[in-house]
Amino acid sequence: MPLDTDPQTDDADLLVRYAQGDASAARLLTLRLTPRAFGQAARMLGDTAEAEDVAQEAMMRLWRVAPDWRLGEAKVTTWLYRVVSNLCTDRLRKRSRGTVRLEDVAEPTDPTPSVETQMQDTARHSALRAALASLPERQSIAVVMRHFEGASNPEIAQALDISTEAVESLTARGKRALAAALKGQAAALGYEEG
Amino acid sequence: MSKSPDRDGDDRWVDQMLDDLARAPVPDLPDTLMARILADADAMLPPPGGRAARTPWWQQILEGVGGWTAVTGLVAAAATGFVVGLGALDGVGVTVPWMQVDDTYYDTDDATYAFGWDMEEG
Repeated sequence: MPLDTDPQTDDADLLVRYAQGDASAARLLTLRLTPRAFGQAARMLGDTAEAEDVAQEAMMRLWRVAPDWRLGEAKVTTWLYRVVSNLCTDRLRKRSRGTVRLEDVAEPTDPTPSVETQMQDTARHSALRAALASLPERQSIAVVMRHFEGASNPEIAQALDISTEAVESLTARGKRALAAALKGQAAALGYEEG
Repeated sequence: MSKSPDRDGDDRWVDQMLDDLARAPVPDLPDTLMARILADADAMLPPPGGRAARTPWWQQILEGVGGWTAVTGLVAAAATGFVVGLGALDGVGVTVPWMQVDDTYYDTDDATYAFGWDMEEG
């Protein structure tokens, strides 16, 4: 994979250059942003093919919005994060919302480390993804940014355009909602409910 | 608001679940994906010199006058001009209300006596 030849240039500046017809800016943005978008989608969806589609769709929206990009109002990475998150949530909501049971999960093709462990992991992740998709958008983004991306409160506040103080409350409400959505499945998924 | 012990337990359980998913391996980026995205970018590439990204109106004004440094200078110059202008009003015989001062007589002699510094007595 080629390297980022211009790491000093801001993403927004590259987007401006793209809007002015600079194809090299698109290559740099693709190199920088695609791994993030794909990684986020893969973690949220647990499906490589779907994650590819989401990453491609999100990047296409970025190219489309480039001429109208308002400098200084949002970070490109933050904007992309929200787009990917919303696209993933839409797909997760289309999936079955029923309770995930171990016997419903397809047996993994790779038998290592153990079939049972893999099945339980798959069931846990599926249940959590479905629960995340059922949250209000802001709660879901706050929880995912905190736990999957290791984002700080100021970073989450910027992404959601809220105060830093409000992030803590939003994340706590999101986790309470997750606990409520997953209530009753903890034991089946191998967790000890509090 | 304080949390109940049950609530703390719920949070720990959910935290553990979230952390497990966060640690789950993410598949490698497929090579074809980058190629597809670059093809999209090329197909949607605006013509050279195409419409530039929109800048907020306040930022356009700011950049038009030379940025924050220039704005600071403008404000300082305007404030100085205002003060100098007020001073000039008096010179041309214009009296403005805020420059009218009551002539007040202060009896400094009495004040001196009041402090008891009259050493001529007694």
